[in-house]
Formats: sequence, structure tokens, C-alpha cells
Amino acid sequence: MEESPLHQFELQNWIPISLGGLDISINKAVVFMWIVVLVAAVLMVMAGSARKLVPGKLQSLAEMMVDFIRSMILDTMGKEGMRFFPLVATLFVFILLSNLIGLIPGSYTVTSQIIVTAVFSFVVYGLSLVMGFMLHGAKFLGILVPPGTPGWLVPLMIPIEIISQVARPVSLAVRLFANMTAGHVMLAVLFSLTIGGGLLIGWLPFAFTVAIYGLEFGIAFIQAYIFSILTCVYLGDAFHLHGHDEHAH
Amino acid sequence: MPQFESHFFSSLIFWEVVSFGILLFILYKYAFPGILSVLEEREKKIKDSLDQAERHRSEAESRLKDYEAKLSAAGKEAEAILAAAKERAQRLLDENEQRLTADAERIKGDATREIEQERRKALQDIRTQTTELALMVAEKVVQRSLTEADQRKFADEALEALSRSQQR
Repeated sequence: MEESPLHQFELQNWIPISLGGLDISINKAVVFMWIVVLVAAVLMVMAGSARKLVPGKLQSLAEMMVDFIRSMILDTMGKEGMRFFPLVATLFVFILLSNLIGLIPGSYTVTSQIIVTAVFSFVVYGLSLVMGFMLHGAKFLGILVPPGTPGWLVPLMIPIEIISQVARPVSLAVRLFANMTAGHVMLAVLFSLTIGGGLLIGWLPFAFTVAIYGLEFGIAFIQAYIFSILTCVYLGDAFHLHGHDEHAH
Repeated sequence: MPQFESHFFSSLIFWEVVSFGILLFILYKYAFPGILSVLEEREKKIKDSLDQAERHRSEAESRLKDYEAKLSAAGKEAEAILAAAKERAQRLLDENEQRLTADAERIKGDATREIEQERRKALQDIRTQTTELALMVAEKVVQRSLTEADQRKFADEALEALSRSQQR
């Protein structure tokens, strides 16, 4: 087995399609996006149409998740943040299911593509900027000067804050992509060691594979959670400029 | 890294936006309202149930207090009734005793009086009879030798002697 551990991320165009000069060919990642959407839609719609006062398993699970995201939004953005509930919840479901489905051997982890996570993070960050300027106008530029900054520090603070703002979407995208990629690379390396080691020593990396696989399962949840809560935080920052307007808590 | 091969970017971006858009639409339309409304309904239901339980509890408490008050009132009443009954019984007993004593007293008095009367009557009878007898005897003895006054004087003396002997 002399296969590169990065081989699993390689894509081939299965069905070449072009839309007005734009290459929108179907590849493995695209198919798994569809699978994620299908699974998410079926599960959530089934859970949503059960509507029993005493929920079944699926309904409880979906309710637990919805309640979790709802309290996350209420904690970070307050009540008016609930208008972003569909976006944040869908992001959470999409990322969580991408991560989890990606753990099935032979499948593809959609979120291990930097461009996929980058689209999410730039959409979220762009939305927070649009919201901020819509709600606060030019005053939203004040986000670059944290409250309590002495006047002589302002010229220094503005570049620093610009960097921190730019780092937001970049880190958001890279965090998810890197976590997913690293986990899968590690699993691939350990597994190739298992195969290469044979029976005599192969059990050791294999045990690690199992352990890391369990860890990856937790990371799938944690990364989905981190992505959603940072989405809430960034959108919340746009709402409550410096956190001292009437919605501050 | 294969993830940085930019010739897949356009299709990935396109399909990501499309897929995510579809998922967002489906969940927004068919999943979230149901789940959120069920959650809210359940929250309301739980809150209502708790409120109701609280209401029932306070109701039960006040009812318990009522019953306790009633119970103690009934106890007091029973005590009062018992005391009254005892008192009445005592009174009746006393009254009866008094009446019986009085009756006995009266009967005894009556009897004493009657006996006294009878005694007096008997004495009177004896006196008259004795007087007549003495007179007869005296008449026979003296044969008209005595005056009426003498006769009476003798008779009185005889009676005196008789009553003295009787009193002994």
C-alpha cells in the first residue's frame, strides 16, 4: 500500500457539465453534498412532521438539536437573533452531517474541502458585515476601535483590528477544513501502518486507528458546534456594536 | 494538497450554494416550524402543568387547613356537648336526691303529725271515758251526796292522778 494519505481527498470529474462556460462537473464531493442534503432533509422533515407532545427517538434528537441551537442563538444574539435561526441551524446540520457521513469508510468528507468551508465562512462573515452596516451605518466602522481605547492608541488599534476582522472568516474556514483533513490524514496514515506492520506489530497502529476514529466522531460534533457558535458570535457582534446597546446582556 | 486544486472550485462552489440553498429552503419550510412549535408547545404545556400543580397544591393546603379547623371545632363542640350532658346529669341527680329527701321528709312529717293526732285523740277519748266512768262510780258510791262542783273536783283529781301515772 504505497498510497498517499492525501489520496482520499482527490477528486475526479465523473460527469462533466458546463453552465455558460462555468465548470460545474459532478464529482464525488458534489455527490456527497447531495447525500448530506438528502439525509438532512429526510431526517429533519420526518422529525418536524411528527409533532408529538411526547416525542419519539428521531423527534427527540431533532428537538434536542434545535433547542441546542436556539439556546446558543439566544445566549449570543438575544431574541432578535432568532431570525438567523434557519441559517445557523441549517449550517449546523449540514456541517455535522458532512463530518459524520465523511467518517463512513469509502465516503467523502465534504467539509475537508477548503473551498466548501470558505464559502460558508465568507457568507457568514459577509452577512455579519452587511447586517452591521445596515443596522449601524458608518458607525459600524467603530468595531475597529474597541471601547476604552486611549486616543493615541487608535492609529495602532485600527490595523490590528482590521487584521483580527480579516482573520475571522479565514480562521473559520481553515479551522473546519484543517480539522477534517488532519483527522482523515491521521486515520489514513495509521491504517496504512496497520496494513504495513502486519500481524506482529500492526495491532498497535490499529488500536490507535480505533481510538482516533472515536475522537474524530467527537470532533465531528465539536467542529459543527464551533462553526455555528462563531457564526452566532460574528452575527451578534454586528447586532450589538461593542455590546453596549439596548440588547446587551 | 488535492484540496487546493482550483479547477474543482467552480463546481464545488456552485453545487454547495445550490445544495445548501435547497436544504435551507426545505428545513425552513417543512422542518423548523414544526420542531420549534412543538418545543414551544411543550414548554407551554410544562409551564401550564407546573402552574396547575402549584394551584392544586395550594388548594389542597387550604382545604387541609379548613378540615383541620373544622376538626378542631368539632372536637371542641363534642367536648362542650359532653360537659353540658355531664352537668345536666349531675343536676338531675341532685334534683332527684333533693326531691326524694324532701318527699321522705314530708312523709315522715305527715306520719309524725298523724301519729301525734291519733295519740291526742286517743288521750282525749280515754279522758272522756275515764271521766264518765269515774262519775258513774262516784255516783254509785256517794249516791247524790255530792254537788255538781264536788263531783267535778273529784273527777279532776282522779284525772290528774291518772295522767301522772300515765306519764311515768
